[in-house]
Amino acid sequence: MRRLTVCAALLSAALCGVLNAEEKMSMSDADKAMYAELLENNPAEMDVAEGEQLFGDLIGAEGYAKMLGVNEKDLAAYLAGFPRYVEPAKKVVTLSQTIQMAAATAKKPVPKLESKEMVKMTAYVKSLANGEKTSIDVKANKHMEQMLKLGQQVFEERRGGRGLSCNSCHSADIVGQRLRMQPLPDLGAKETAAAGTWPAYRMTQSQMVTLDKRFQQCMNNALLAKIPLGSREMVALEVFITNKTKGNEIQIPGLKR
Amino acid sequence: MRKVTMLAIATFLSAADVSQVIESPDATAILKKDALPAPKAYVMPEGCISNDAGAIARGKYIFHNLNGKDAKQNPPEGLSRTLADGKPKQMGNCVACHNIEGADGYGNIGPDLTNYKALYMDSGVRDAQFVYQKIADPRIDNGQTHMTVNLTNGLMNEREVCDLTSYIMAVKK
Ligand code: HEC
Ligand code: HEC
Repeated sequence: MRRLTVCAALLSAALCGVLNAEEKMSMSDADKAMYAELLENNPAEMDVAEGEQLFGDLIGAEGYAKMLGVNEKDLAAYLAGFPRYVEPAKKVVTLSQTIQMAAATAKKPVPKLESKEMVKMTAYVKSLANGEKTSIDVKANKHMEQMLKLGQQVFEERRGGRGLSCNSCHSADIVGQRLRMQPLPDLGAKETAAAGTWPAYRMTQSQMVTLDKRFQQCMNNALLAKIPLGSREMVALEVFITNKTKGNEIQIPGLKR
Repeated sequence: MRKVTMLAIATFLSAADVSQVIESPDATAILKKDALPAPKAYVMPEGCISNDAGAIARGKYIFHNLNGKDAKQNPPEGLSRTLADGKPKQMGNCVACHNIEGADGYGNIGPDLTNYKALYMDSGVRDAQFVYQKIADPRIDNGQTHMTVNLTNGLMNEREVCDLTSYIMAVKK
Protein backbone atom coordinates (compact mmCIF):
# COMPACT_ATOMS: atom_id res chain seq x y z
CA MET A 1 0.00 0.00 0.00
CA ARG A 2 2.71 2.41 1.04
CA ARG A 3 4.71 1.38 -2.01
CA LEU A 4 1.79 2.23 -4.26
CA THR A 5 1.58 5.69 -2.80
CA VAL A 6 5.29 6.23 -3.28
CA CYS A 7 5.09 5.00 -6.85
CA ALA A 8 2.13 7.20 -7.61
CA ALA A 9 3.96 10.17 -6.15
CA LEU A 10 7.07 9.48 -8.18
CA LEU A 11 5.09 8.82 -11.37
CA SER A 12 8.02 6.86 -12.64
CA ALA A 13 7.80 3.25 -13.61
CA ALA A 14 11.56 2.86 -13.60
CA LEU A 15 11.92 4.09 -10.04
CA CYS A 16 9.03 1.94 -8.87
CA GLY A 17 10.88 -1.02 -10.32
CA VAL A 18 13.87 -0.17 -8.18
CA LEU A 19 11.73 0.10 -5.05
CA ASN A 20 10.15 -3.27 -5.74
CA ALA A 21 13.52 -4.90 -6.20
CA GLU A 22 14.69 -3.43 -2.91
CA GLU A 23 11.72 -4.68 -0.97
CA LYS A 24 12.36 -8.17 -2.18
CA MET A 25 15.94 -8.01 -0.96
CA SER A 26 14.83 -8.27 2.67
CA MET A 27 13.80 -11.85 1.94
CA SER A 28 14.87 -13.49 -1.30
CA ASP A 29 12.28 -15.39 -3.34
CA ALA A 30 13.93 -18.65 -2.28
CA ASP A 31 13.68 -17.58 1.38
CA LYS A 32 10.05 -16.67 0.95
CA ALA A 33 9.32 -20.09 -0.55
CA MET A 34 11.12 -21.74 2.35
CA TYR A 35 9.16 -19.62 4.82
CA ALA A 36 5.86 -20.71 3.26
CA GLU A 37 6.95 -24.32 3.38
CA LEU A 38 8.07 -24.13 7.01
CA LEU A 39 4.82 -22.43 7.95
CA GLU A 40 3.06 -25.62 6.88
CA ASN A 41 5.52 -27.79 8.70
CA ASN A 42 7.43 -25.92 11.41
CA PRO A 43 10.56 -27.93 12.36
CA ALA A 44 10.20 -26.65 15.94
CA GLU A 45 7.03 -28.75 16.38
CA MET A 46 9.45 -31.63 17.00
CA ASP A 47 11.20 -29.65 19.71
CA VAL A 48 7.91 -28.86 21.40
CA ALA A 49 6.98 -32.55 21.33
CA GLU A 50 10.35 -33.41 22.87
CA GLY A 51 9.73 -30.67 25.42
CA GLU A 52 6.48 -32.35 26.37
CA GLN A 53 8.28 -35.63 26.95
CA LEU A 54 11.06 -34.01 29.00
CA PHE A 55 8.59 -31.99 31.03
CA GLY A 56 6.43 -35.04 31.69
CA ASP A 57 9.42 -37.03 32.94
CA LEU A 58 10.71 -34.20 35.08
CA ILE A 59 7.61 -32.60 36.55
CA GLY A 60 4.23 -33.19 34.92
CA ALA A 61 1.38 -30.72 34.60
CA GLU A 62 -0.18 -31.70 37.91
CA GLY A 63 2.89 -31.10 40.03
CA TYR A 64 3.66 -27.97 38.06
CA ALA A 65 0.21 -26.46 38.63
CA LYS A 66 0.42 -27.37 42.30
CA MET A 67 3.80 -25.70 42.69
CA LEU A 68 2.36 -22.55 41.08
CA GLY A 69 -0.70 -22.76 43.28
CA VAL A 70 -3.27 -22.89 40.47
CA ASN A 71 -5.89 -25.40 39.36
CA GLU A 72 -4.81 -27.50 36.40
CA LYS A 73 -7.81 -26.31 34.43
CA ASP A 74 -6.78 -22.68 34.97
CA LEU A 75 -3.18 -23.33 33.98
CA ALA A 76 -3.42 -22.09 30.36
CA ALA A 77 -4.87 -18.72 31.34
CA TYR A 78 -2.34 -18.38 34.16
CA LEU A 79 0.60 -19.17 31.87
CA ALA A 80 -0.54 -16.48 29.42
CA GLY A 81 0.26 -13.90 32.10
CA PHE A 82 4.01 -14.50 32.42
CA PRO A 83 6.43 -13.06 33.37
CA ARG A 84 4.71 -12.58 36.71
CA TYR A 85 5.32 -12.44 40.44
CA VAL A 86 5.07 -15.88 42.00
CA GLU A 87 4.96 -16.31 45.74
CA PRO A 88 7.32 -19.30 46.18
CA ALA A 89 10.00 -17.39 44.23
CA LYS A 90 9.30 -14.10 45.99
CA LYS A 91 10.00 -12.29 42.74
CA VAL A 92 8.97 -11.83 39.11
CA VAL A 93 10.00 -14.86 37.08
CA THR A 94 9.88 -16.21 33.52
CA LEU A 95 8.34 -19.53 32.52
CA SER A 96 11.82 -21.06 32.29
CA GLN A 97 12.51 -20.08 35.88
CA THR A 98 9.25 -21.70 37.04
CA ILE A 99 10.46 -24.91 35.40
CA GLN A 100 13.60 -24.69 37.54
CA MET A 101 11.44 -24.20 40.63
CA ALA A 102 9.17 -27.10 39.74
CA ALA A 103 12.12 -29.41 39.10
CA ALA A 104 13.57 -28.58 42.50
CA THR A 105 10.22 -29.09 44.18
CA ALA A 106 9.98 -32.51 42.54
CA LYS A 107 13.50 -33.17 43.86
CA LYS A 108 14.83 -33.54 40.35
CA PRO A 109 18.00 -32.09 38.81
CA VAL A 110 17.43 -28.44 37.90
CA PRO A 111 17.99 -27.79 34.18
CA LYS A 112 20.15 -24.81 33.27
CA LEU A 113 18.52 -21.88 31.48
CA GLU A 114 21.07 -22.23 28.68
CA SER A 115 20.38 -25.93 28.10
CA LYS A 116 18.64 -27.30 25.01
CA GLU A 117 16.25 -29.18 27.28
CA MET A 118 15.16 -25.93 28.90
CA VAL A 119 14.40 -24.30 25.53
CA LYS A 120 12.25 -27.26 24.56
CA MET A 121 10.42 -27.46 27.88
CA THR A 122 9.81 -23.71 27.92
CA ALA A 123 8.30 -23.91 24.44
CA TYR A 124 6.10 -26.81 25.49
CA VAL A 125 4.90 -25.14 28.68
CA LYS A 126 4.14 -21.92 26.81
CA SER A 127 2.31 -23.88 24.10
CA LEU A 128 -0.13 -25.01 26.80
CA ALA A 129 -1.41 -21.44 26.55
CA ASN A 130 -1.79 -21.50 22.75
CA GLY A 131 -4.92 -19.65 21.72
CA GLU A 132 -4.90 -17.55 24.90
CA LYS A 133 -4.04 -13.87 24.63
CA THR A 134 -0.91 -12.59 26.37
CA SER A 135 -2.27 -11.07 29.56
CA ILE A 136 0.70 -9.75 31.52
CA ASP A 137 -0.41 -7.42 34.32
CA VAL A 138 2.28 -4.82 34.94
CA LYS A 139 0.17 -3.15 37.60
CA ALA A 140 -0.52 -6.34 39.55
CA ASN A 141 1.87 -5.40 42.38
CA LYS A 142 4.90 -3.27 43.14
CA HIS A 143 7.26 -6.00 41.93
CA MET A 144 5.76 -5.89 38.45
CA GLU A 145 5.72 -2.11 38.44
CA GLN A 146 9.42 -2.05 39.33
CA MET A 147 10.27 -4.63 36.68
CA LEU A 148 8.42 -2.71 33.96
CA LYS A 149 10.35 0.40 34.88
CA LEU A 150 13.67 -1.44 34.91
CA GLY A 151 12.81 -3.09 31.58
CA GLN A 152 12.17 0.23 29.92
CA GLN A 153 15.43 1.55 31.34
CA VAL A 154 17.40 -1.42 29.98
CA PHE A 155 15.63 -1.03 26.63
CA GLU A 156 16.56 2.63 26.34
CA GLU A 157 20.08 2.60 27.76
CA ARG A 158 22.69 3.34 25.11
CA ARG A 159 25.76 1.21 25.68
CA GLY A 160 28.28 -1.13 24.08
CA GLY A 161 30.75 -0.74 21.25
CA ARG A 162 28.55 1.49 19.10
CA GLY A 163 26.60 3.32 21.79
CA LEU A 164 23.28 1.87 20.65
CA SER A 165 20.22 0.89 22.66
CA CYS A 166 17.36 -1.44 21.79
CA ASN A 167 15.42 1.76 21.24
CA SER A 168 17.87 2.92 18.55
CA CYS A 169 16.38 0.32 16.23
CA HIS A 170 12.98 -0.42 17.76
CA SER A 171 11.60 3.00 18.70
CA ALA A 172 8.19 3.83 17.27
CA ASP A 173 9.53 6.53 14.95
CA ILE A 174 11.72 4.18 12.90
CA VAL A 175 9.65 1.02 12.77
CA GLY A 176 9.42 -0.20 9.17
CA GLN A 177 12.63 1.53 8.11
CA ARG A 178 15.53 -0.60 7.02
CA LEU A 179 18.72 -1.57 8.78
CA ARG A 180 20.76 -2.77 5.81
CA MET A 181 18.07 -4.79 4.07
CA GLN A 182 16.15 -5.74 7.21
CA PRO A 183 12.87 -3.95 7.86
CA LEU A 184 12.77 -3.03 11.55
CA PRO A 185 9.89 -4.83 13.23
CA ASP A 186 7.39 -3.18 15.54
CA LEU A 187 7.83 -5.51 18.49
CA GLY A 188 4.26 -4.94 19.64
CA ALA A 189 2.42 -5.14 16.32
CA LYS A 190 -0.07 -7.91 15.57
CA GLU A 191 2.09 -9.32 12.77
CA THR A 192 5.20 -9.42 14.99
CA ALA A 193 3.51 -10.16 18.32
CA ALA A 194 6.93 -10.76 19.84
CA ALA A 195 5.67 -12.09 23.19
CA GLY A 196 3.14 -14.50 21.70
CA THR A 197 5.37 -16.01 19.03
CA TRP A 198 8.56 -16.97 20.88
CA PRO A 199 10.01 -19.57 21.33
CA ALA A 200 10.19 -19.65 17.56
CA TYR A 201 12.08 -21.47 14.86
CA ARG A 202 14.61 -19.02 13.38
CA MET A 203 15.32 -19.82 9.75
CA THR A 204 18.64 -17.97 9.82
CA GLN A 205 19.76 -20.08 12.80
CA SER A 206 18.08 -23.35 11.85
CA GLN A 207 16.95 -23.84 15.43
CA MET A 208 14.33 -22.89 17.97
CA VAL A 209 15.17 -19.81 20.02
CA THR A 210 13.54 -18.35 23.15
CA LEU A 211 12.59 -14.68 23.45
CA ASP A 212 15.40 -13.87 25.86
CA LYS A 213 17.89 -15.62 23.55
CA ARG A 214 16.51 -13.46 20.72
CA PHE A 215 17.29 -10.38 22.81
CA GLN A 216 20.83 -11.65 23.22
CA GLN A 217 21.15 -12.08 19.45
CA CYS A 218 20.24 -8.42 18.94
CA MET A 219 22.75 -7.48 21.65
CA ASN A 220 25.43 -9.48 19.86
CA ASN A 221 24.70 -7.94 16.47
CA ALA A 222 24.67 -4.41 17.80
CA LEU A 223 27.81 -4.86 19.97
CA LEU A 224 25.98 -4.58 23.29
CA ALA A 225 27.43 -6.80 26.04
CA LYS A 226 25.21 -9.84 26.44
CA ILE A 227 23.07 -9.73 29.61
CA PRO A 228 22.89 -13.26 31.11
CA LEU A 229 19.64 -15.26 30.99
CA GLY A 230 17.67 -15.12 34.21
CA SER A 231 19.25 -11.90 35.46
CA ARG A 232 16.91 -9.25 36.84
CA GLU A 233 17.61 -7.05 33.83
CA MET A 234 16.81 -9.81 31.35
CA VAL A 235 13.54 -10.70 33.08
CA ALA A 236 12.69 -6.99 33.19
CA LEU A 237 13.33 -6.68 29.44
CA GLU A 238 10.96 -9.60 28.88
CA VAL A 239 8.33 -7.87 31.04
CA PHE A 240 8.71 -4.68 29.02
CA ILE A 241 8.51 -6.35 25.58
CA THR A 242 5.69 -8.68 26.62
CA ASN A 243 3.67 -5.72 27.82
CA LYS A 244 4.08 -4.08 24.40
CA THR A 245 2.35 -7.02 22.77
CA LYS A 246 -0.30 -7.56 25.43
CA GLY A 247 -3.49 -9.01 23.96
CA ASN A 248 -1.86 -10.79 21.04
CA GLU A 249 -2.60 -14.48 20.69
CA ILE A 250 -0.05 -17.06 21.82
CA GLN A 251 1.02 -19.37 18.98
CA ILE A 252 3.95 -21.59 19.90
CA PRO A 253 6.19 -22.47 18.15
CA GLY A 254 6.51 -19.31 16.06
CA LEU A 255 8.38 -19.03 12.79
CA LYS A 256 10.84 -16.20 12.20
CA ARG A 257 13.38 -15.17 9.64
CA MET B 1 28.75 -35.25 37.97
CA ARG B 2 26.93 -31.94 37.88
CA LYS B 3 23.62 -33.77 37.77
CA VAL B 4 24.48 -35.59 40.97
CA THR B 5 25.38 -32.38 42.80
CA MET B 6 22.20 -30.71 41.59
CA LEU B 7 20.17 -33.63 42.81
CA ALA B 8 21.81 -33.46 46.19
CA ILE B 9 21.07 -29.76 46.49
CA ALA B 10 17.51 -30.28 45.35
CA THR B 11 16.93 -32.96 47.94
CA PHE B 12 17.61 -30.61 50.83
CA LEU B 13 15.27 -27.95 49.59
CA SER B 14 12.00 -27.31 51.25
CA ALA B 15 9.21 -25.64 49.31
CA ALA B 16 9.99 -22.43 51.15
CA ASP B 17 13.45 -21.87 49.71
CA VAL B 18 12.70 -22.94 46.17
CA SER B 19 13.65 -19.40 45.22
CA GLN B 20 17.28 -20.39 45.76
CA VAL B 21 17.36 -22.73 42.76
CA ILE B 22 16.30 -20.11 40.23
CA GLU B 23 19.21 -19.04 38.07
CA SER B 24 19.42 -15.31 38.54
CA PRO B 25 22.94 -14.05 37.79
CA ASP B 26 23.88 -10.48 38.68
CA ALA B 27 24.27 -8.37 35.53
CA THR B 28 25.18 -5.05 37.14
CA ALA B 29 28.93 -5.47 36.63
CA ILE B 30 28.43 -6.33 32.95
CA LEU B 31 26.22 -3.29 32.41
CA LYS B 32 28.57 -1.00 34.29
CA LYS B 33 31.49 -2.04 32.15
CA ASP B 34 29.39 -1.62 29.01
CA ALA B 35 28.19 1.89 29.89
CA LEU B 36 28.64 4.73 27.42
CA PRO B 37 30.66 7.81 28.46
CA ALA B 38 28.78 11.13 28.63
CA PRO B 39 28.28 13.05 25.35
CA LYS B 40 31.39 14.96 24.34
CA ALA B 41 31.93 17.94 22.05
CA TYR B 42 35.00 17.81 19.80
CA VAL B 43 37.01 20.26 17.76
CA MET B 44 38.11 18.78 14.47
CA PRO B 45 41.92 18.38 14.54
CA GLU B 46 44.25 20.37 12.29
CA GLY B 47 44.54 18.94 8.77
CA CYS B 48 41.63 16.58 9.32
CA ILE B 49 39.96 16.94 5.94
CA SER B 50 42.03 15.56 3.13
CA ASN B 51 41.78 14.99 -0.62
CA ASP B 52 44.37 12.26 -0.31
CA ALA B 53 43.18 9.14 -2.13
CA GLY B 54 44.48 6.93 0.72
CA ALA B 55 42.44 8.73 3.37
CA ILE B 56 39.30 8.62 1.24
CA ALA B 57 39.81 4.93 0.51
CA ARG B 58 40.05 4.21 4.25
CA GLY B 59 36.94 6.27 4.95
CA LYS B 60 35.10 4.40 2.24
CA TYR B 61 36.17 1.04 3.62
CA ILE B 62 35.08 1.93 7.17
CA PHE B 63 31.77 3.25 5.86
CA HIS B 64 30.84 0.15 3.88
CA ASN B 65 32.07 -2.65 6.15
CA LEU B 66 30.82 -4.10 9.43
CA ASN B 67 34.09 -5.45 10.79
CA GLY B 68 37.47 -6.80 9.78
CA LYS B 69 36.37 -10.40 10.06
CA ASP B 70 33.42 -10.32 7.67
CA ALA B 71 34.80 -7.81 5.14
CA LYS B 72 35.14 -9.35 1.68
CA GLN B 73 37.93 -7.11 0.45
CA ASN B 74 41.22 -6.48 2.17
CA PRO B 75 41.46 -3.07 3.82
CA PRO B 76 43.42 -0.27 2.11
CA GLU B 77 46.81 0.77 3.41
CA GLY B 78 46.76 2.18 6.93
CA LEU B 79 43.83 0.07 8.08
CA SER B 80 43.94 -3.45 9.50
CA ARG B 81 41.41 -6.23 9.84
CA THR B 82 42.54 -6.87 13.41
CA LEU B 83 43.33 -4.85 16.51
CA ALA B 84 46.58 -5.05 18.47
CA ASP B 85 45.00 -7.70 20.73
CA GLY B 86 44.12 -9.86 17.72
CA LYS B 87 40.37 -9.22 17.89
CA PRO B 88 38.63 -8.18 14.67
CA LYS B 89 38.52 -4.42 14.16
CA GLN B 90 35.01 -3.00 14.13
CA MET B 91 34.33 -0.83 11.10
CA GLY B 92 31.56 1.79 10.85
CA ASN B 93 28.85 -0.19 9.08
CA CYS B 94 27.43 3.23 8.22
CA VAL B 95 25.77 1.68 5.17
CA ALA B 96 23.42 -0.19 7.51
CA CYS B 97 21.62 3.12 7.99
CA HIS B 98 22.78 5.43 5.15
CA ASN B 99 22.73 5.40 1.38
CA ILE B 100 25.76 6.90 -0.39
CA GLU B 101 27.37 6.57 -3.84
CA GLY B 102 27.90 2.88 -4.70
CA ALA B 103 26.18 1.57 -1.56
CA ASP B 104 25.07 -2.04 -1.70
CA GLY B 105 22.09 -3.12 0.41
CA TYR B 106 21.93 0.12 2.34
CA GLY B 107 19.43 0.91 5.11
CA ASN B 108 17.41 4.10 5.49
CA ILE B 109 17.32 4.83 9.22
CA GLY B 110 19.68 7.77 8.63
CA PRO B 111 19.58 10.40 5.87
CA ASP B 112 20.83 9.66 2.36
CA LEU B 113 24.41 10.94 2.13
CA THR B 114 24.61 10.78 -1.68
CA ASN B 115 25.98 13.91 -3.36
CA TYR B 116 26.69 15.30 0.10
CA LYS B 117 29.16 17.97 -0.93
CA ALA B 118 26.92 19.62 -3.51
CA LEU B 119 23.73 19.30 -1.50
CA TYR B 120 24.91 20.06 2.01
CA MET B 121 28.37 21.62 2.01
CA ASP B 122 28.35 23.92 -1.02
CA SER B 123 24.94 25.24 0.01
CA GLY B 124 26.41 26.13 3.39
CA VAL B 125 23.97 24.16 5.59
CA ARG B 126 26.77 21.91 6.80
CA ASP B 127 30.49 22.22 7.36
CA ALA B 128 33.30 19.77 8.04
CA GLN B 129 33.20 20.43 11.80
CA PHE B 130 29.50 19.46 11.84
CA VAL B 131 30.13 16.18 10.02
CA TYR B 132 33.14 15.41 12.24
CA GLN B 133 31.14 15.97 15.42
CA LYS B 134 28.19 13.98 14.06
CA ILE B 135 30.36 10.92 13.49
CA ALA B 136 32.45 11.35 16.65
CA ASP B 137 29.44 11.82 18.94
CA PRO B 138 26.03 12.58 17.41
CA ARG B 139 24.41 13.12 20.81
CA ILE B 140 25.78 16.67 21.02
CA ASP B 141 23.40 18.21 18.50
CA ASN B 142 20.66 15.59 18.88
CA GLY B 143 20.08 14.05 22.31
CA GLN B 144 17.54 11.59 20.88
CA THR B 145 19.63 10.45 17.91
CA HIS B 146 19.46 6.85 16.72
CA MET B 147 22.94 7.09 15.25
CA THR B 148 26.00 5.26 16.57
CA VAL B 149 28.69 6.91 18.72
CA ASN B 150 32.15 6.39 17.27
CA LEU B 151 34.85 8.41 19.04
CA THR B 152 33.74 8.98 22.65
CA ASN B 153 33.50 5.22 23.18
CA GLY B 154 36.84 4.49 21.51
CA LEU B 155 35.34 2.52 18.62
CA MET B 156 37.41 4.68 16.28
CA ASN B 157 40.32 7.05 16.61
CA GLU B 158 40.52 10.69 15.48
CA ARG B 159 42.16 9.82 12.21
CA GLU B 160 39.45 7.33 11.32
CA VAL B 161 36.75 9.91 12.00
CA CYS B 162 38.72 12.31 9.75
CA ASP B 163 38.93 9.61 7.05
CA LEU B 164 35.15 9.12 7.20
CA THR B 165 34.52 12.87 7.11
CA SER B 166 36.86 13.25 4.12
CA TYR B 167 35.10 10.41 2.31
CA ILE B 168 31.59 11.79 2.86
CA MET B 169 32.66 15.28 1.73
CA ALA B 170 34.61 14.07 -1.30
CA VAL B 171 33.15 14.41 -4.80
CA LYS B 172 32.42 10.87 -5.95
CA LYS B 173 31.79 9.40 -9.37
C1 HEC C 1 21.19 -2.18 15.29
C2 HEC C 1 19.79 -2.43 15.27
C3 HEC C 1 19.12 -3.18 16.40
C4 HEC C 1 19.33 -3.08 17.76
C5 HEC C 1 20.27 -2.14 18.51
C6 HEC C 1 18.42 -4.02 18.37
N1 HEC C 1 17.70 -4.68 17.43
FE1 HEC C 1 16.21 -6.08 17.75
N2 HEC C 1 16.01 -6.35 15.74
C7 HEC C 1 16.69 -5.65 14.75
C8 HEC C 1 16.29 -6.14 13.45
C9 HEC C 1 16.81 -5.64 12.10
C10 HEC C 1 15.35 -7.19 13.68
C11 HEC C 1 14.65 -8.05 12.63
C12 HEC C 1 15.62 -9.09 12.18
C13 HEC C 1 15.05 -10.14 11.29
O1 HEC C 1 13.99 -9.96 10.71
O2 HEC C 1 15.72 -11.16 11.21
C14 HEC C 1 15.20 -7.28 15.14
C15 HEC C 1 14.35 -8.19 15.78
C16 HEC C 1 14.10 -8.22 17.14
C17 HEC C 1 13.16 -9.10 17.79
C18 HEC C 1 12.29 -10.14 17.11
C19 HEC C 1 10.98 -9.56 16.69
C20 HEC C 1 10.04 -10.66 16.20
O3 HEC C 1 9.30 -11.19 17.01
O4 HEC C 1 10.10 -10.99 15.02
C21 HEC C 1 13.20 -8.81 19.13
C22 HEC C 1 12.37 -9.46 20.22
C23 HEC C 1 14.20 -7.76 19.31
N3 HEC C 1 14.72 -7.42 18.09
C24 HEC C 1 14.55 -7.20 20.55
C25 HEC C 1 15.63 -6.34 20.73
C26 HEC C 1 16.14 -5.95 22.04
C27 HEC C 1 15.56 -6.36 23.37
C28 HEC C 1 17.23 -5.15 21.80
C29 HEC C 1 18.19 -4.52 22.79
C30 HEC C 1 18.86 -5.38 23.67
C31 HEC C 1 17.37 -5.00 20.37
N4 HEC C 1 16.39 -5.76 19.75
C32 HEC C 1 18.33 -4.22 19.75
C33 HEC C 1 17.60 -4.62 14.96
C34 HEC C 1 18.10 -4.21 16.20
C1 HEC D 1 21.94 2.82 13.56
C2 HEC D 1 21.80 3.79 12.52
C3 HEC D 1 22.99 4.59 12.04
C4 HEC D 1 24.29 4.19 11.81
C5 HEC D 1 24.90 2.81 11.97
C6 HEC D 1 25.00 5.37 11.35
N1 HEC D 1 24.16 6.43 11.30
FE1 HEC D 1 24.63 8.33 10.64
N2 HEC D 1 22.77 8.98 11.12
C7 HEC D 1 21.74 8.18 11.58
C8 HEC D 1 20.57 9.00 11.83
C9 HEC D 1 19.23 8.50 12.37
C10 HEC D 1 20.92 10.33 11.50
C11 HEC D 1 20.03 11.58 11.57
C12 HEC D 1 19.75 11.99 12.98
C13 HEC D 1 20.92 12.69 13.56
O1 HEC D 1 21.45 13.59 12.93
O2 HEC D 1 21.30 12.34 14.67
C14 HEC D 1 22.32 10.27 11.05
C15 HEC D 1 23.05 11.39 10.60
C16 HEC D 1 24.32 11.33 10.04
C17 HEC D 1 25.03 12.44 9.44
C18 HEC D 1 24.51 13.87 9.33
C19 HEC D 1 23.83 14.12 8.02
C20 HEC D 1 23.35 15.54 7.96
O3 HEC D 1 23.97 16.30 7.24
O4 HEC D 1 22.40 15.85 8.65
C21 HEC D 1 26.24 11.98 9.01
C22 HEC D 1 27.34 12.77 8.32
C23 HEC D 1 26.31 10.57 9.35
N3 HEC D 1 25.12 10.20 9.96
C24 HEC D 1 27.39 9.73 9.10
C25 HEC D 1 27.49 8.41 9.56
C26 HEC D 1 28.71 7.62 9.51
C27 HEC D 1 30.03 8.07 8.92
C28 HEC D 1 28.43 6.42 10.10
C29 HEC D 1 29.33 5.26 10.37
C30 HEC D 1 30.49 5.49 11.15
C31 HEC D 1 27.02 6.45 10.47
N4 HEC D 1 26.50 7.67 10.15
C32 HEC D 1 26.35 5.38 11.05
C33 HEC D 1 21.78 6.81 11.79
C34 HEC D 1 22.93 6.01 11.71
